Amino acid sequence: MSLIEIKDLKVHYPIRGGFWNRVVDNVKAVDGVTFDIEAGETYGLVGESGSGKSTTAKAIIGLEKATSGTVTYKGKDVTKAENRRKLDYNHDVQMIFQDSLSSLNPRKRIEDIIAEPLRNFEKLDKQAEKLRVLQLLDIVGLDADALYKYPHQFSGGQRQRIGVARAVATHPKLIIADEPVSALDLSVQAQVLNFMKKIQRDFGISYLFISHDLGVVRHMCNNIAIMNRGRIVEVGTREDIYNEPMHIYTKRLLAAIPETNVNHRKEHREHRLEIEKIYQEQQQKYYDKDGMAFPLVKVSPTHSVALPPEEAKKFQQQAENKEVNV
Amino acid sequence: MKRDIEDATSISEADLEKLTKEANQEATPSAAKIMWREFVADKPALISLFILIVFILFVIIASMFIDVPKMMETNIMGYYAKPFTPEYWLGADAGGRSIAKELVVGSRNSICIAIGLTIISSTFGICWGLVSGYFGGMVDLAMQRVYDFMMIIPMLMTIIVIVTIIPHYNAITLTLILSIFYWMGTSRLIRSRTLSESQKDYVAASKTSGTGNLKIIFREIMPNISSLIIVDTTLSFAENIGVETGLSFLGFGLPMGTPSLGTLIANANDPENITGYWWTWLPAAVEIIILCLSISYIGQVMRRTTNAAQRRGQDKK
Ligand SMILES: Nc1ncnc2c1ncn2[C@@H]1O[C@H](COP(=O)(O)OP(=O)(O)OP(=O)(O)O)[C@@H](O)[C@H]1O
Ligand SMILES: [Mg+2]
Repeated sequence: MSLIEIKDLKVHYPIRGGFWNRVVDNVKAVDGVTFDIEAGETYGLVGESGSGKSTTAKAIIGLEKATSGTVTYKGKDVTKAENRRKLDYNHDVQMIFQDSLSSLNPRKRIEDIIAEPLRNFEKLDKQAEKLRVLQLLDIVGLDADALYKYPHQFSGGQRQRIGVARAVATHPKLIIADEPVSALDLSVQAQVLNFMKKIQRDFGISYLFISHDLGVVRHMCNNIAIMNRGRIVEVGTREDIYNEPMHIYTKRLLAAIPETNVNHRKEHREHRLEIEKIYQEQQQKYYDKDGMAFPLVKVSPTHSVALPPEEAKKFQQQAENKEVNV
Repeated sequence: MKRDIEDATSISEADLEKLTKEANQEATPSAAKIMWREFVADKPALISLFILIVFILFVIIASMFIDVPKMMETNIMGYYAKPFTPEYWLGADAGGRSIAKELVVGSRNSICIAIGLTIISSTFGICWGLVSGYFGGMVDLAMQRVYDFMMIIPMLMTIIVIVTIIPHYNAITLTLILSIFYWMGTSRLIRSRTLSESQKDYVAASKTSGTGNLKIIFREIMPNISSLIIVDTTLSFAENIGVETGLSFLGFGLPMGTPSLGTLIANANDPENITGYWWTWLPAAVEIIILCLSISYIGQVMRRTTNAAQRRGQDKK
């Protein structure tokens, strides 16, 4: 059984308007997202800005009310606040926020920030609590003199580590990392990412790793879901996505990864332009008349793609044939 | 394999004391310290603070030694006594009552009412704004309708009507009556800041850390809008001195026989007093000007304390 199962999750924001201020339309920030996260793995959720990644994360952790769909943890639907309370859900599931500065209360000292989940979930005495905070600071590579400082006295990378320390304080089973490194420069990115991997090995944590950067995701994740306009357009293992991308949106994202090898710059550029052209031509085909992606079809046991209906039929037939043969 | 946090680091209980000491050396100064530095750097504000505190203490203590009913008795012998005489330092009014004594007791009354009014109405307004802004949605909608209702009531008229209807009232009931009408400005101000503050990620982080709503409101959000609260409270204190004084001036404030700054200034209603007997009203008027100026100086320093970019105080180690 998976650690956590997200099934057909939807988050719609109502748009009010008109004379009576009635709901005239919905922003479909998340529209039918399904995936499972296994214990100890890193699951990547990728998509461009505004594709609904943060909203998905917030719905999973319970910060945003799900319009419909379920998130199953330990056999209970944790989209209901009452189940979350019963399970002590946030003891097990924590979040690292996209914006490290705004996620740390500017009026609190680092000690109080890191100790906050400890105070709520594990009743430790003063000494034990301080010791635990010092240990956590040590784990994330910060000195003890950080203890009585305020968040604005740290650099972006250091603040992100403080966020990580707070997230791991209660031994969670799952950490939702919402673009934990996108605000950092490259060298610090690598530091924080390696560090996240290290504590994953040490503590056996699962990550839901959210990013818009496929390069970073490749470094971190075993399984990846590509999200676009509130829907998942392609899921698969790292190999599926990087070696055999099938959805035009995935191909476009992959082509957008900057080429570091100077010798191949030109080829890379041509390749990207070509993909962009195909994307513009085939856009009509890959999205329905409302501009939404089609339902996912399985193209291999690990790989599913939101293919247009005609191609989807082909794969369905193949699958059926296979079943007959077996 | 899940290992424990203890195994991942070399820090143990033995290091606790040493590390705490190290951390203490690097600790950032507290808000109170920063505020004090700011006062020291701004001499007029420091003087204002000094004047205000000394004056408030003086009138409160001095009025304990004054027998108010006796002071308010009419004394024909002192009819419009001139100031700077041994018996009447600041002269006397038409009833032969010592202006100096009246000023002390009146200041005590006016300031205490202003303090009480500020404490009650600001506390209520702050709580109202915080709760309304934090929860949003239906709670906010309902609370804002109450606010709207209070806003459309003609305030001064209602207060005058209530004061006239109630047979026996004193300083305390007057403070309570006024408090009903003076929380709205604060609440609207606090609500709008709370609305934006609640959207920040540190509130979300507190929620996922298992902190309850009330604790988030008062321990997480409130400290972050403390600058606004402090500035608003100082300014409403200055304003509230004017509220009671104004009512008493109109004759609807404190009951007869209870002196206040307002009743003293009301002496100026008589044109003869304005020119001939200036000592009956001038001291009270000057006092109000000095008080309000001091408070606004202090308010400015408070505002600067909370905004690092405007600070003048030295950051000495
Ligand atoms: N409270 C809200 N009310 C209305 N619409 C919202 C709200 N929050 C988010 N949205 C919309 O939902 C969509 C998804 O937003 P979301 O924050 O999940 O994007 P994201 O994938 O995290 O983007 P980014 O990479 O920039 O963080 C956006 O189009 C946004 O406009
Ligand atoms: Mg986001």
